[in-house]
Amino acid sequence: MRNVTLKGMLAHKLRLALTALAIVLGVTFISGTFVLTDTLHNTFSVLFGSVYQNIDFVVRGDPQLGSSGANAVRNELPTSLQATVSRVPGVAAAEGEVEGYAQFVARDGKPIGTGGAPALGLNFDTDQQLSSLHIIAGGPPVTGDDVVMDAGTASKYDFTVGQQVRVLLAGAPRTFTISGIAEFGSAGNLAGASLAAFTLPTAQSVLQEPGQFDDISVVTAPGSSKPAVQRAIAAVLPAGVQVVTGQTVMNENTAAISQDLSLFSTALLVFAFISLFVGGFTIFNTFSITVGQRTRELALLRIVGASRRQVFRSVLAEAAITGLVSSIIGLGLGVLAALGLEALLRGFGITLPTGSLVFEPRTVLVGLAVGVGVTMVAAIGPARNAVRIPPIAALSDRQADGGVSLRRRFTGGAAVALAGVVLLALGLAKPAIALVGVGAVSIFIGVAMLSPAIARPLSSVIGRPLAQLLKEPGQLGRDNSMRSPRRTAQTASALMIGLALVAAMSVFGASLSKSATSSADQAISAGLIVTASGTGELSDSVPATVSAVPGVTASTTVYSGQFEVRNSLVTLKAVSVAHLADTLILRMTAGTSATLGRGELLVDSTTATSKHLSVGDTVPVTFARTGSSTERIGGIYQANALIGSYLVSAGFFTSHFSSQPPAALLLSTNGSGTADNNVTNALAAYPNVQVQTRAQFEKAQTASVNQLLGLVYALLALAVLIALIGIVNTLMLSVFERTREIGLLRAVGMKRRQVRTMIRSEAVILAIFGAIIGIIIGTGMGIALVSSLKHQGITDIVVPASSLVIFFVLAALLGLVAASWPARRAARLDILTAIAAQ
Amino acid sequence: MSLKSEELTSGTKTEPAAHSVDLRKTYGTGQATVHALAGVSVSFERGRFTAVMGPSGSGKSTLMQCMAALDRPTSGQSFVGGLDIGDLDDAGLTQLRRDRIGFVFQYFNLIPTLTASENITLPAALAGRKVSQEWLGYLVGQLGIADRLTHHPGELSGGQQQRVACARALINKPDLVVADEPTGNLDSSSSADLLAFLRQSVTELGQSIVMVTHDPRSAAYADRVIFLADGAVVSELEKPTADSILERMRTLGT
Repeated sequence: MRNVTLKGMLAHKLRLALTALAIVLGVTFISGTFVLTDTLHNTFSVLFGSVYQNIDFVVRGDPQLGSSGANAVRNELPTSLQATVSRVPGVAAAEGEVEGYAQFVARDGKPIGTGGAPALGLNFDTDQQLSSLHIIAGGPPVTGDDVVMDAGTASKYDFTVGQQVRVLLAGAPRTFTISGIAEFGSAGNLAGASLAAFTLPTAQSVLQEPGQFDDISVVTAPGSSKPAVQRAIAAVLPAGVQVVTGQTVMNENTAAISQDLSLFSTALLVFAFISLFVGGFTIFNTFSITVGQRTRELALLRIVGASRRQVFRSVLAEAAITGLVSSIIGLGLGVLAALGLEALLRGFGITLPTGSLVFEPRTVLVGLAVGVGVTMVAAIGPARNAVRIPPIAALSDRQADGGVSLRRRFTGGAAVALAGVVLLALGLAKPAIALVGVGAVSIFIGVAMLSPAIARPLSSVIGRPLAQLLKEPGQLGRDNSMRSPRRTAQTASALMIGLALVAAMSVFGASLSKSATSSADQAISAGLIVTASGTGELSDSVPATVSAVPGVTASTTVYSGQFEVRNSLVTLKAVSVAHLADTLILRMTAGTSATLGRGELLVDSTTATSKHLSVGDTVPVTFARTGSSTERIGGIYQANALIGSYLVSAGFFTSHFSSQPPAALLLSTNGSGTADNNVTNALAAYPNVQVQTRAQFEKAQTASVNQLLGLVYALLALAVLIALIGIVNTLMLSVFERTREIGLLRAVGMKRRQVRTMIRSEAVILAIFGAIIGIIIGTGMGIALVSSLKHQGITDIVVPASSLVIFFVLAALLGLVAASWPARRAARLDILTAIAAQ
Repeated sequence: MSLKSEELTSGTKTEPAAHSVDLRKTYGTGQATVHALAGVSVSFERGRFTAVMGPSGSGKSTLMQCMAALDRPTSGQSFVGGLDIGDLDDAGLTQLRRDRIGFVFQYFNLIPTLTASENITLPAALAGRKVSQEWLGYLVGQLGIADRLTHHPGELSGGQQQRVACARALINKPDLVVADEPTGNLDSSSSADLLAFLRQSVTELGQSIVMVTHDPRSAAYADRVIFLADGAVVSELEKPTADSILERMRTLGT
């Protein structure tokens, strides 16, 4: 039996290859994701290892507000602590570290972007043992005007030692002289972040931490007992300050990166699994068709003594071998894909450091298990149909219909689809992502089971214009698509899933854009909005600069930070109150916004309802710097995503936070066009600042949503591609199956071109069938998703009709493309051989 | 089920290779009911070559299918080597077909992806048994296909394909070989060769064969002819000749 399976597969290499392709692509995606994230993880581990290899201990503030690890909120240390730590016996060196925002400006006057990574400013450690920076040209900063630049930025933007460079800071921008170029650890820079290192006093001043350190790095004297030194340091530290080993900090950093990377890989894996799910449908379909076509052969095997179990196993074995071979190929291609994914992400502005590729055993295990698993699961149904073929089918001409009656299928499909809808609704309401996934999968399977019921009438309707347009060949293509509703529906199912996801995402994206626009419309009355571009920060001198500009009638500074309300960490926004009414629209539903000036807290209506807060209540709050206190609620405003849930005055905010840069500036002008220009001109010294009208601001929001959407579409494209391979496969099998028939048509006078038209018509009908159902389901899913996110600020539901029409037309065109090969093959058939074929 | 083939051929000779008791097969219901078999009791003796004849629709193929464990009768019993087919589940039927029945069909029914020798040994391979090389060599030698064993069915002539099918039918030394119009697609010379081989395997090897045919010349190779009409046995002829068969057919009006 093994022989029969193997030889059968080898005899149908093309079929095998097309089936395998779906799995190859899916496994490639999985292994590519793993290889990429493992490689990144390894790169960061090595990098952090090299940075912290000489640092024995780090003295730093305790984490605040329930945070922990590398990204914890910590209070600064007084400079005097450095001397205290240095005096501890066994400490060879202790140096204070400051870190903050410092962004270089390129020669063309544009701020140097870091592709999402921070633009870091820090002090240059005089003790090379402690420094994470290694000078490769020039020397360390000596005067207050010196800066050391990271090698990555220097080489990319062509800076050399001795040149002047402008640096954007939390305060006013300044020009420095490059005293040296340095590498970070062993790398050009830290994962794309730019680094500007100053002398300690300069760093403290320009990074706005006068008289303070973020932490203190400690090196022990040779021969001293490290645990003893750590205990000794801990003994001299004031409350709220801790001493940890360099290893601990390194582990925290690595863990933070791991967490980010695992989010990243999970996101990519979701798309990989979508592709494999669609691939599963393609495989199911191919196996269904081939089992149907091999009815005679399988029945003959049963006659000469193959048991049901042997037949079942032979179909599953074929699936297992297909899955195994394609998974192995996929694993190999995954390495290439890792490079491709990196390039794709770079295309979307996300830069990642590179290192030698890491191929973990886990990648192989998961790739093989998922690839083989999906193929075998998809083949179970067809294998069961194969088992149902009676031996006698070898002797009669009737093709075994194989499978369940349409009625039973219909009931089953309806049940699965309904269960899916319920699960999806529950998942969205909770919200529970896993439940949403299971729900969506169930809906797709249910609809795929249901669709044969409507395949005949729907194909008929879709095919009518084709038949009119293309005459007889179009009519024959239409007839062919109606001939086997099950096959038509199954083939279209794969495309249905791809398009459903695309449609759902487009509904989500359009609603997100519209919501962002309308929340800006409803919250902002200011004509101009000033924000930092990219990863930049607004300098604290910008508000004063701008309010002095002629024509600016009102200016409101917005801040953003985090604090705890009733022990849960939330985002707090703050606004300067002087001209608030002229720039910001607060629709008060209770209390008054005037209470902001008294240092009271405003909350939005959604939060007030869910947390049972009303005007006059006092709530316990905690700030990282000033500790716990209580706040009185002065008013409640209508919820708006842009304003957020908690609002205080700027004055109150700055007294509870240390050196937070403004998040944005809202400006009202006297309406003259010159005022806008004046603002732009006044801010010329700050190239990291963008001045936008409200319309531009809204457009930028939409643009960033569209960019994200573009990335998602690109990732979903693979699923659509696999669905198209499914269509190619089905058409090839159909052409093969109808060899005789096509020969007959040719014999009675059908031209080659007409044969091609016939096959193409069938493909277009298949594609449109899948597209229609997919777009309908996807739109429904998108609306469900958006509705569930109402409280997260997506208040508008938009169905982007034009995009959906474009997807529909694209699907039809792709169907045409998928048909080209099978159509050519059918047209090439030799009439005599075709008629003689059995 | 684990009986050895030697026991089957050398066992209780009193029992027929296969027999049926009041076998009925109906298709459809009510007005549209068709009685393909209307109560057939028939017996195929061991070591004999029996031909089943009858016009189209007389039920001869249905009889073969019900007696050879390919199809289940509506009522009645059929036995192979004394074993009641009705008592067997699908697995039992499969094993019965594999080990105790050999099939030859009109359309050669070989697996196109397997070579001739692989097709021949397929029943044994399915059972996970080794084939006696001596027996295989004897069969292919007798059938004159020894030099064709590595060929695929597509590379063989119709007569050669049918001889491969014959070898496959005999490889397990079955209780009964069922041949359904085995010469239906062959030219006269190939037909004669094949029938001669079947005849020889009965005479020299003691094989039991039942063959469905509508050709009197083919049926004349048999020891006995059974005539069917409208799903019932209507006549029998021992030691037939082509002429006596034609004669009988004329009297039966078929």
